[in-house]
Amino acid sequence: MNAAPRSTLYWEDFTPGEVVEIGRHTFAEDEIIAFARQFDPQPFHTDPEAAKQTFFGGLIASGWHTCAIGMRLMVQQYIGRSASAGSPGVDNIRWRAPVRPGDTITYRRVTLEARPSGSKPDLGLVRTRSEGLNQRGEIVMTMEGWGMFRRRPGDPR
Amino acid sequence: MSRPAFDFYWEDFPVGLVHETGRHTFTEEEIVAFARQYDRQRFHVNPAAARESIFGGLIASGWHTCAIAMRLMCDAYLTRSACLGSPGLDSLKWLKPVRPGEGITFRAKVLVSRPSASKPELGLTKFLWDAVNADGETVLAMEGWQLFERRRKEER
Repeated sequence: MNAAPRSTLYWEDFTPGEVVEIGRHTFAEDEIIAFARQFDPQPFHTDPEAAKQTFFGGLIASGWHTCAIGMRLMVQQYIGRSASAGSPGVDNIRWRAPVRPGDTITYRRVTLEARPSGSKPDLGLVRTRSEGLNQRGEIVMTMEGWGMFRRRPGDPR
Repeated sequence: MSRPAFDFYWEDFPVGLVHETGRHTFTEEEIVAFARQYDRQRFHVNPAAARESIFGGLIASGWHTCAIAMRLMCDAYLTRSACLGSPGLDSLKWLKPVRPGEGITFRAKVLVSRPSASKPELGLTKFLWDAVNADGETVLAMEGWQLFERRRKEER
């Protein structure tokens, strides 16, 4: 067989129960600060010295930064080659442990459920739990999101 | 012991309080720049490809809308408050696309306020953060928590 390019993922390609590693990212101090200066300028995200005096005892990444990197990796790993039609939202975002400079976060997704759209017969919805774990295996972030995907053309309904 | 004085503590966010946090116009350039970094889907990064997509044109990444909401919240009250971060959000809804040139107004409304059960010096506040476009349509609605220090007894 020829080594065909990886094919487009459609709604039918998401199977409840599957666990897929999405990728990993090491958060450098300068990128934590750069993200937070732009979007979340609280002292414990932007100022390493001031952060030592806070509740957190040192610099931590903005939770939005942890989410944004998770999104980047999801697009690289599967959404970018899928028939994605966007997302209506996310439930239960939990920032469970701080992400500190030098931490390496491994992201994975678990497919929770897949159902056809009630109103649009060419679309289906997939509910996914995404998780980030640090190098000690501690869960730092979880969220449950809905993705909309086109259904495979020609599949029986 | 001294501690930095803040303008806002947990007590300053009573249920029902509404705070307009600001307004932001999303330019095509910044929509594409954010998405190239964090959400490189074609309807966020490529205006021509976006026209062929389900959205009919370029739209901002939902995470971009959230990040701007966070920034405006910081500038409006959070960096002047005794905030100790957030344990998370219960729900986040991207209700309508945000397109280049759209001016979006953001606000914060207090839904729940309660002292921490385990730490008497802290309190938790649940907010609805939403965002509305020029046509009055809600484009973003998030419900989530922030943790604040309480005023000390002598300061109450």
